[in-house]
Amino acid sequence: MQKLNEIPDKNPFKVPEKYFEEVNRKIISSTSGYDLEVRKIGLYDRLRPYFLIAASITGFILLSYTAVKLLTPGRINLQASEAMFQDSSEVYINEIDINTLEENAGDMVLSLETSEAGKADIIDYLIRENIEINDIYEQL
Amino acid sequence: MSSINSADNISELLKTDLNMGFRLVVEKYSSRLYWHIRRLVIIHEDADDALQNTFINAWKSIGEFRNESALYTWLYTIATNEALTLINKRKKNAAVSINNLEDYFVHSLEGSTWFDGDAAQLKLQDAILLLPEKQRVVFNLKYFDEMTYEEMSKVLKTSEGALKASYHHAVKKIEKTLGGD
Repeated sequence: MQKLNEIPDKNPFKVPEKYFEEVNRKIISSTSGYDLEVRKIGLYDRLRPYFLIAASITGFILLSYTAVKLLTPGRINLQASEAMFQDSSEVYINEIDINTLEENAGDMVLSLETSEAGKADIIDYLIRENIEINDIYEQL
Repeated sequence: MSSINSADNISELLKTDLNMGFRLVVEKYSSRLYWHIRRLVIIHEDADDALQNTFINAWKSIGEFRNESALYTWLYTIATNEALTLINKRKKNAAVSINNLEDYFVHSLEGSTWFDGDAAQLKLQDAILLLPEKQRVVFNLKYFDEMTYEEMSKVLKTSEGALKASYHHAVKKIEKTLGGD
């Protein structure tokens, strides 16, 4: 029976040329990259919750501010528009008064024009009351 | 220079410069670990994968390693686990039956580009492949790596007495196989 110690102590397995140089370089490069990433991520992971909280608070503040800004300028505009409305309405009212007066005047003119007798009465009235017709024209 | 003294020097460097310390670990132990894995898995490509996985796993835990255990035995533990994991995965994925898997690798050594042994060494490798996995590990660590039973006990988490018995039985089986031809 052959004994183990009778077998030559030689490694029967082979590897490609320069295998260990290449595999060492591969291992070191892969683990070195992992180290840098781990350190960055480690710091990032530690601060990330705080960043998220800060971002949430900031976002909430911005949204709130934006909402307030959107609402509060409306009131100012409303006041302005009210003022404008008042101005415009005053003008409108004035115009109405004027139009009403003109309409009334128009009615009056129409009523005067339609009645020749009416004209004569007016002239008689004016003469009785000593009212100068030119004064009337000036008023008109 | 014992492996433990080297481990202490590297462990000191790992405290001050992790990258440089790990670089020294790779350069010092990659060859030894490769051959340990290779004797278990036989095929070079498989051993290459297992070796890289070994150091990647070691790197993940290297920051925790300080003086807790010898670097040498710790690396062998990882390498052994990687090799056995690969063997078990190979068994699950094998197209041939489990019983014939060892025969498959026995015959794969013959004429293989990556096997340069003579007839006697081929017979030895064939005999080793016929051992149960755990016993094969014990035999290889003792016979080829010349590891002490104390170190082996730390690697395999087994008592020294059990390891001695396992090695003794492994030698008997191999010599019986060699003598049976």
